[in-house]
Amino acid sequence: MTTAVSSRKKIYDRIRSATKSVAKNDAARAEAYAALPRPYVHTGQLSRKQTLDLMIERLREYEAGVTETTPAELPAAIAQKLAASGHRKFVVPPALPAEWLAAGYEWKVDNGLASEEIETAEGVVTAAFCAVADSGTIVLHHSASEGRRVISLLPDFHLCILRTSQIVETLPEYFRRCAQPPALATTISGPSATADIEMTRIKGVHGPRFLEVILVNDEEAR
Amino acid sequence: MSHSASNQPILDPRHALPFPKAVLPVLRNPQLRKNVAHAIDVIQSKRAKLVAEKTDWQELRTAADAMRMHVLENLGAYLEQFEQRCTERGGIVHWAADADEARRIVLDILREEKASEVIKIKTMTSAEIQLNPYLDTNGVKAYETDLAEIILQLGEQEPSHIVVPALHVNRSQVREIFSRTMGLKDLSDEPRELTNAARHYLRRKFLEIPTAISGANFLVAETGAVAVVESEGNGRMCLTLPKAMITIAGIEKVLPRFQDLEVVLQLLGRSATGERMNPYNSIWTGVTPGDGPERFHVILLDNGRSSILASEHERQTLKCIRCAACMNACPVYRQTGGHAYGSVYPGPIGAILTPQLMQMNYAQSLPYASSLCGACYEVCPVKINIPEVLLDLRAQVTNRERKDLKRFFDPMYLGLRVANLLFSRAWLFHTAQFFGRIGLGLFTGSDGWIHWLPSVGGKWTQTRDLRGLPSQTFHEWWAARNKEAQ
Repeated sequence: MTTAVSSRKKIYDRIRSATKSVAKNDAARAEAYAALPRPYVHTGQLSRKQTLDLMIERLREYEAGVTETTPAELPAAIAQKLAASGHRKFVVPPALPAEWLAAGYEWKVDNGLASEEIETAEGVVTAAFCAVADSGTIVLHHSASEGRRVISLLPDFHLCILRTSQIVETLPEYFRRCAQPPALATTISGPSATADIEMTRIKGVHGPRFLEVILVNDEEAR
Repeated sequence: MSHSASNQPILDPRHALPFPKAVLPVLRNPQLRKNVAHAIDVIQSKRAKLVAEKTDWQELRTAADAMRMHVLENLGAYLEQFEQRCTERGGIVHWAADADEARRIVLDILREEKASEVIKIKTMTSAEIQLNPYLDTNGVKAYETDLAEIILQLGEQEPSHIVVPALHVNRSQVREIFSRTMGLKDLSDEPRELTNAARHYLRRKFLEIPTAISGANFLVAETGAVAVVESEGNGRMCLTLPKAMITIAGIEKVLPRFQDLEVVLQLLGRSATGERMNPYNSIWTGVTPGDGPERFHVILLDNGRSSILASEHERQTLKCIRCAACMNACPVYRQTGGHAYGSVYPGPIGAILTPQLMQMNYAQSLPYASSLCGACYEVCPVKINIPEVLLDLRAQVTNRERKDLKRFFDPMYLGLRVANLLFSRAWLFHTAQFFGRIGLGLFTGSDGWIHWLPSVGGKWTQTRDLRGLPSQTFHEWWAARNKEAQ
C-alpha cells in the first residue's frame, strides 16, 4: 500500500509542477470553464414532424425496423411485432405496463435474473429515456422500465418502445434533458455491428442483431 | 508481421528499428499495402461525407480544443475530483506512475479475484503497457473480445491502427487464422460468416469468465463516471456480465462535466469510423448494486504523460481522443501501415506521442516520419497542431544528437558544421563553390544530373537525382551582366 500511496503523491506532484504556471484556483477555474467557447448547434432547427421523420430515416439506415402507432393502439402494435419476430421467450424489465405483455408468450420479468437465464430468452422489450434524431441514437438510463444493462444485451432481438415526446433533434438537447447526470447510460445507434474485416459493415456481433422500434405518438393527443 | 523470435514485442519502442529501416519489409509487401490502402480509403470517404453534412463541425472542433486544453491546464484539480467522486460511488482508484506499476496493480487485483482468465475490451493503455504478455507469464490467460483484436491474438499478429487494428489483414487471411485456431474446416471468407464464428467463440467466455479489463475513452470529473465507446457489444458484455472490472485509463482522459460528452461524442464517431454515432456508448459510475460488476477498479496511468504536460508546446499532444483520423489522412501511413512505427501508437499522433512517452530516449526517428503536409492537423477533431509538434521534436532530437560526442565525427554533423562556417564568410563561400563545382563535376553525368554520391551524399541520391551545379553562379552572372551594361 505504501508504494501505491507514494505513486499517487508522485503523480499529483508531477502534474502540479508541470501545470503550475497555468493551473487555476477553484474560483478562477470555474470561471474559465464557464467561459469555454461552445459555438456549436445546441438546439435543432427542424420542425417536430421533420425531427420524427429524421429519426425514422436514421433507424432504417441502421436496418432497424420502425413502426408508428398511437397510445391506444400500442398493445396491438407490440403484439404484431412480437408475432413477426417469430420468438416466444421474452425478458422484460420489472416496471413495464402489464398491457404491453401480450398473451401467448413466455414473459420473464427481470427481478435480478441470472445471466444464464437471460441468455435463454430470445428477445427483450424495453422503454427508453430519450432518442436523438441527428444520429438515430436511443438512450437508456436503465430505470425500472428500461431494464438492467444486461437484459438489452444478451437476447438477439430488442424491441424498444419510444414515445415521440422523447425524441430530440440534437445530442446537446439530450444532455439538457438530464436534470441529474445518470449513474448508468447506454446509447444505442443501430444494432451491434463491426467493420473490422475489410471495412465491410456486418450487423450483429455480440449485442442484439435485430433492433425493432415502436414510435408512440404521444404529442398530437395533447 | 508476427512476434519476433526473441519474444520481444515488436511494438515496443525500446526495441524497435528506426522508422526508415522498419518500413522496408512493408514497402516490399504489396498485399499488406493493398489491404491498408483499401481500408483507409473506405474510412476516409465515409468520414468526409459525414463531416461535410455536419454544419457545425468547425464549431465543435473549436469547443473540443478549448475544453481539452482547459482540462490539461487544470489536470490536477479535475483528477482529484474524479478520484473523489468515483470512490464515493464505490470505485477503487489506483495510481500507476509507469507501465511496470500498472501491470503489477492489474496482477494484484486478478490474484485477489483468484482469476486465471480475464476478458478484455480493446484498450490502447493495456497495449501501451504490454499487459497481455505479462499476464501470460504470470499464469493469467487474457482473451481479447474485439473482433479485430481476436484476429490479431489468434493470428499472433501486432496491431497496426488504433481504431481498426487489423486493417492490414484481409478476409482470406482472417479465414485462415480462424479456421486454423478455432478448428473450423469449412469456414468461408465471407465477413458475415467470419464474424459469426467470433460471436460463437466468445459467447461462453462472456458468460463464464467473471473478470474483465477495459480502457476508458473518457472520465467525468463531476460524477466519477467512465465512458467507453464501441461498436460490437463486446464492450457492453465485459462491462456488464463480470463480477469484477478493471479500467486502465490515461490520466489525460478526464472531462470536467457529464454534459461535455456532447462535444466529444459528436466528434469521435464521425472522425474514427465515419459514423454519426458508433453503435454503443456505455457510461457507468462506480458500482451500481444489482447492475453490473460488484467490484470496480480504475487504474490512472501516468507512464510519461505528466512529462508531456510540462512542456507548453507539446502539452497539446495530450488533447488526443484517439480517433485515428490523423493516421487515416496521413500520406506516409497510407503507404506504410502501422507496424513500421514500432509502437502501439502509429501514424502522426504516434510520431509525436511515442517519443514523448519515452521521454525522447527512444523512437527518435518518428518525428521525421512525416512530410509535414498538415493533413493530420486539418482533420484532428481537437485541433492538435501535429506538424508544429513534429518540428519541435525534431529540434529536440537534433539538439541531443549534437551534444553526443560519438556524433562529433558523423559525416552529416561534420558537413553541417562546415556548412555553418562556409555560409558565414563570403570569401569562404565563393571558394567552396569553386571547389564544389570541380568536385561535383566528377559525379555529374552527361545529362547534367548527379545519379550517385558517396558517403552522406548518398542519402540523397539513393532515392532521387540531384541536378549538377551550373557552370556559372548567380554572383558571377550578376557581376558579368553589370560589366556588359557598362
